Amino acid sequence: MKKGKTYDEAVSRLEEIVASLERGGKGLDETLQLYEEGAVLLKQCQEDLKSAEGKLNELRLEDIEKEISDD
Amino acid sequence: MRGASDLTTGPLSIGNFVNLIRQTVKQDKLFQNQAIKGEVSQWKQYPSGHTYFTLRDNVGQMSAVIWQGRCLIDPSIKEGSEVVVIASVDLYAKQGRIQLVVDKIEPVNAIGKMEEALRKLKLKLRQEGAFDRPRKRLPLVPKHIAIVTGTGSAALSDMNRLIENRWPGLRRTIIGVLVQGENSVQEIVRGLAVARKLSDPEIAKQRNQPPVDVIIVGRGGGSPEDLWSFNLEPVARAIIASQIPVISAVGHESDLLVSDMVADVRASTPSNAIERCVPDYNAIQMLLADYNERIDSATIRQFSDARSRLKLLTSMLKAAPMAGINNVKIKMQRLTMRLNSSSQSIISQEKSRMVKFEASLKAVHPQRVLERGYSMIQDDSGEVLSKLDQLSIGQNIKMNFADGKAEASIINLEKKGK
Repeated sequence: MKKGKTYDEAVSRLEEIVASLERGGKGLDETLQLYEEGAVLLKQCQEDLKSAEGKLNELRLEDIEKEISDD
Repeated sequence: MRGASDLTTGPLSIGNFVNLIRQTVKQDKLFQNQAIKGEVSQWKQYPSGHTYFTLRDNVGQMSAVIWQGRCLIDPSIKEGSEVVVIASVDLYAKQGRIQLVVDKIEPVNAIGKMEEALRKLKLKLRQEGAFDRPRKRLPLVPKHIAIVTGTGSAALSDMNRLIENRWPGLRRTIIGVLVQGENSVQEIVRGLAVARKLSDPEIAKQRNQPPVDVIIVGRGGGSPEDLWSFNLEPVARAIIASQIPVISAVGHESDLLVSDMVADVRASTPSNAIERCVPDYNAIQMLLADYNERIDSATIRQFSDARSRLKLLTSMLKAAPMAGINNVKIKMQRLTMRLNSSSQSIISQEKSRMVKFEASLKAVHPQRVLERGYSMIQDDSGEVLSKLDQLSIGQNIKMNFADGKAEASIINLEKKGK
């Protein structure tokens, strides 16, 4: 996640936003701000989930040690 | 079976008969690869490299052989040593001799030594606080799992299958190491070092991958000896050294090893490690969809609440001026009424008080007293005399009555009293 929030942090912030909006009693400005923040976080989470996909690397110890020292 | 067909045609040759016994013994799992404990006697190591001895205890004995180069023989083994062997029963047909063919031999005190070393390591780690150090939390969704385990093992294919079921295509790096035998400790430690390197953001960036954020180290089930590497200090140290969470997944539910005790998470089996750290993809998508829906509907509700509150306020505002004037009018009326009634009652109270006062004033005037039959006595100077002591015999006094005055002279004084 580029803007500094990890997936875990984003999800816990989303939980706060949902709870806060459902509790209600906020001003309209604040409601809109929370809504927009939530939308951005949801999009970030989706992108983040995509980044969990990748190739399966299976190597013997010697090969992967060599690969890393070559980098 | 050749022997069986001979049985039908006539007497069995002794050679065939002995071989029949041999086949039977070799097929029975009870007699193959069995761990047997006993005392060594007639220990003889021949120049050919084979070693012959008798394994015995108080109840029985059997001759045994260790073929040249079959296994390492602890040099401390001698006549009378307590040993445990892994051996199979075989029958040497030429001599009709039954014997144990030994695959592995360990002196019992060596096994005792391993247990003792384990006990000491646990004590040391406990004193260092390694067992109750703060544990690192697993990420909700791992971006890159490193698995340190045996290449081509059943445990690995179980883990891979489970990952694909839960999160198809989840990124992972499998670091194949030996998980048992002499070099396994060193390889597991090196494998963990590689995994730690891959968790370094700098190295990950160079490799164009997200850094490793979970390490699984483990293997499938086996004998205590097979799993022993995970009880050794170098492996424990390599786990503790990790900056990211390490899951120890060794053997079965019942196997508790030092690696389990120092890891951030102990999984009961390799498959359990995957269940612990890889969430279900669909469940995560459902969770995010749920957040999305709840944020939307809560926001919409806030706005419609605000709109109806606005409506209510508007209608209240319109009615406000008239309502205000009416209120004030009613208040004024009430106040006026209270003011009137209270001033009326004050005046009438005062009036009656004045009448009473006048009456009592009249009652105490001296003239009224004289009218009731009393008289007032004064001396020549006009002072009112009220006590006997003010009088003397022969003194002239003036007496005042309601209707006139008289003069008199005192002729006698008689004091009240005893």
